[in-house]
Amino acid sequence: MIITIASGKGGTGKTTIATNLAWTIAHAQEAEKKVTTWLIDCDVEEPNAALFVHPTFEKEKKVERLLPVINQDQCTSSGVCVDVCEYNALAIAGGKTLFFKELCHACGSCVLNCPEGAIHETSEKIGLLQMGSSDSLQFAHGILEIGWSSPTPVIRDLKKWVIPQQTQSDSTYILDASPGTACPVVESFRGADFALLVTEPTPFGLHDLVLVAELIFKEFKIPSGIVINKSGRGDEIIEQFASEKNIPILMRVPLSRDIAEAYARGKLLVEAFPQYKDQFIALHKKIGEMIRERQPKQ
Amino acid sequence: MHIAITLADNKGLESSISPIFGRCPFYMLIDPESKEFKIEENPAQSASGGAGVKASQWMIDNEVAAVISGNLGPKAHDVLSSAKIPAFKFQNGSIEETLKAYNDNELESFFEPNVDAHSGIQE
Repeated sequence: MIITIASGKGGTGKTTIATNLAWTIAHAQEAEKKVTTWLIDCDVEEPNAALFVHPTFEKEKKVERLLPVINQDQCTSSGVCVDVCEYNALAIAGGKTLFFKELCHACGSCVLNCPEGAIHETSEKIGLLQMGSSDSLQFAHGILEIGWSSPTPVIRDLKKWVIPQQTQSDSTYILDASPGTACPVVESFRGADFALLVTEPTPFGLHDLVLVAELIFKEFKIPSGIVINKSGRGDEIIEQFASEKNIPILMRVPLSRDIAEAYARGKLLVEAFPQYKDQFIALHKKIGEMIRERQPKQ
Repeated sequence: MHIAITLADNKGLESSISPIFGRCPFYMLIDPESKEFKIEENPAQSASGGAGVKASQWMIDNEVAAVISGNLGPKAHDVLSSAKIPAFKFQNGSIEETLKAYNDNELESFFEPNVDAHSGIQE
């Protein structure tokens, strides 16, 4: 079971819900001697889930990309590489080929098409993956190299590294996506069984919830549910949208100074307020039911 | 011999000069002496990325002798200076006034980029 947690808007509480859900079910399942629970932080531009679950890392892996290197002696300034580069990362100027690394998407077209064979590739580190555990919770995250602007390949490698191709149906993978609705979020949803959308009852929260719900509806067609964080005032705007789109509200976490203080100290909600454990277990159970309902009848 | 001017619209010699280099909608290619000109659409205007690089390559391919623009970003500056195409800063005024300032060597040269990358996107 792969559950991806997204929100559109930043700061709604994706990481709070992801870390607490993963932590709670990992410990509940341990008690029942069931299978592993993974928390995978896919927000590789600012991975912060580790701050709350304190994993010990046991394995690391570099993420690399192949970038073109131009042999200026062999280059005849044919301009073929400039024409085939979809990202305008190359230019021919003053009898030299200029390469702008930050525009390159490492597609390899210039290497394949150079009529003189003057371009070869060299690998460059663009990120780091780390894997480990915290008690019975398995944990992994990716860290985008500073100066790189494209997180998507790091997320792709992270998922490939952690989630086996043939998912064992009894393992649970909880993916904490980045804010927004662009490529990194799309990559975090690829292969997911369920979209858990965390929002806050504000016009900003609703606005970006609409965008991410649209993304799920158009591109993934997987069941989804809403968690209202900082709930208590203005929930109606979220409730109205949820009922229009027929997306169930699965859980609410109230707007509370006590919760905010525990968060600011790096505490899990379920550590500071153990009464929330039952709610997270119920949330997990409900998600499981919704996934099974959607699966075609044998 | 012709030079390129970044344009915000397409109204012949009455066009407004655009402050944006890579993502302005049109370029005027004009002979500064005879004032013979043509206006072309900027092929880089809606590039997903690298508009400055693509626009600079267009300038090179069209053999312009100089570029006049309000702003110039770092990558466009790299490409144009590698091709030894001088770039001049548009102050304000009409195309006629700007050409006169160019012919009288009164335009300030871009010895270095004056804006950050992606500045043309905000407009």
